[in-house]
Amino acid sequence: MRHGKYPFIIGFLAVPVALYATFVVAAYIQTFQLSMTSWSGFGAIKFVGADNFVKLWNDELFWKSLRHNGYLLLLLPIVTIALALVFAFLLNVGGGSKGGVTRGVWGSKFYRVIFFFPQLMALAIVAVIFGRVFASDKSGMLNGLFPDSWSPWLFLADERWALTCILVVLVWQAVGFYVVLFSAGMGSIGEEIYEAAALDGASRITLFFKITLPLLWNTIQTGWVYLGIAAFDAFALINIMTVDRGGPDGATSVLAMMIYRNTFEYSQVGYASALGVVLFFLTLTFAALTLRVTRRDAV
Amino acid sequence: MAKHDEGVITVGRSRAGTFFANGTGILFGLVMIFPVYWVLNTAFKPDSEVRSFTPTFFPNDFTLDNFKSALGEELFIPSMINGLIITAMSVAAALVVGFLGALAIARFSFYGRKAIIMVILAVQLVPFLALLIPLFLMLQQAEEGTGINLIGDSLLGVTLIYVVLLLPYTVWTLRGFISGIPRELDEAAMIDGCTRFQVFWRIILPLTGPGLVATSVYGFIQAWNEFIIINTMNDPKHQNLMAWLLYNQTERGTAWGPLMAGAIITSIPVVVFFLLIQRNIATGLTAGAVKG
Repeated sequence: MRHGKYPFIIGFLAVPVALYATFVVAAYIQTFQLSMTSWSGFGAIKFVGADNFVKLWNDELFWKSLRHNGYLLLLLPIVTIALALVFAFLLNVGGGSKGGVTRGVWGSKFYRVIFFFPQLMALAIVAVIFGRVFASDKSGMLNGLFPDSWSPWLFLADERWALTCILVVLVWQAVGFYVVLFSAGMGSIGEEIYEAAALDGASRITLFFKITLPLLWNTIQTGWVYLGIAAFDAFALINIMTVDRGGPDGATSVLAMMIYRNTFEYSQVGYASALGVVLFFLTLTFAALTLRVTRRDAV
Repeated sequence: MAKHDEGVITVGRSRAGTFFANGTGILFGLVMIFPVYWVLNTAFKPDSEVRSFTPTFFPNDFTLDNFKSALGEELFIPSMINGLIITAMSVAAALVVGFLGALAIARFSFYGRKAIIMVILAVQLVPFLALLIPLFLMLQQAEEGTGINLIGDSLLGVTLIYVVLLLPYTVWTLRGFISGIPRELDEAAMIDGCTRFQVFWRIILPLTGPGLVATSVYGFIQAWNEFIIINTMNDPKHQNLMAWLLYNQTERGTAWGPLMAGAIITSIPVVVFFLLIQRNIATGLTAGAVKG
């Protein structure tokens, strides 16, 4: 059976490896090279050594953006997973029980479809809608709901809250997917386990912490990885939604946003590439940590 | 907490708790659905009503004008067709390439296998934004070298990039599915005289069905909704609906009605696709995820 293994392996992997080699590895090598230059995107390329990195070290906006990246990387998974777990639990075993059989809340099938809708809506559309939700005058949905005597909240125009608004939108969009994901996971937990526990007098909360959570641990870890990726991707939303692209005053800037602006607005491709290099190492660190923590030894 | 009433055992469930659970469910459902409803509400309103400061929860004058004006935009239909072509091509290519790659990783042990898996995971995390400039330069050079149109006025370059974007998830998920198929099945088939290729074609491929569905949905959503790469690489006539939507928003200020109508039309393919495979999606997701 071992005979003739390699032709298959080579045949199957040739295309993906070639694609990766050109579009990812070679492209990244170029980014590394450009990070040592002061190239503007046009004309001659001048080598400047580590100048870009020195500049970066002294750039206040860089550190600010880095903190924002960390904030999203930490809070997006925690908030989303916590909410999704609670609601997946409600959908599956949160309702009343009849004859000892646990069931979801009323209308749980309907919710499952609803929760998926935000996932189907493109980021561009989500951004447009939440632009209306968070509008800083009385025409905004939230400000419209508040009593007339309140002065309108600024939301995205408020330095202190802008990033939280972005987080809210990200959670809103992501949570439904994880409700569905966790629901499916909970569905595969045997009914008899819940029954047995319920007969032993376990409350909802005990059921959740002692049965659901441990049995779902693998799925939760997978969710964590994908939400981490989503946190790195928050740039697309920030780009469309925020005041002055990453503002006000850098309050929502993330590394990717800096890369984008330096490339396309300030014509500082060299500096943008240096930021790209930093982002590269950050993501790799995240990947390594995730692999270590989740111990996917099955691979 | 166990209590007995009328001979039916209701365990660990207080009535108040159930009420609370249902209430929370409804509230959460409302928060999730409200923005979606607002899009629909705005899209069917005449402009004067959209702009009014007292919001109305249903259109007083139901109108389709917004849809007409969105569809009538010069680049709307071409953008939609571009998007469909790019999405279909990149999802199909990613499925074929990804399935074969997953097969190699899941079914064979070989030198460098772990490295490949690591690279796949890393690529999924790498922000593509940092690669935009090199990719642009690369495709430009390739265009000059080969004479094949790739970027600017061609959909080919963007499609290639999308394939690379979709591959990690595809390989990763399908690998999970394939690992879940017992090797004994392969062996039994080979004892019965199947070649290795026939095993892949007749046994593993059909059994990976739900995984293929799950990954194609993911791929479809990703490719259809992408706008940054295509906006950088191509001229306005060769972009997709999503890029058109954003361009439209910034160019024309706040024409909310047509914008929302455009958003609805843009979402239709994804929603239809989702509804078609809705039943398979949860199974597909978990099977891939849990064994991942």
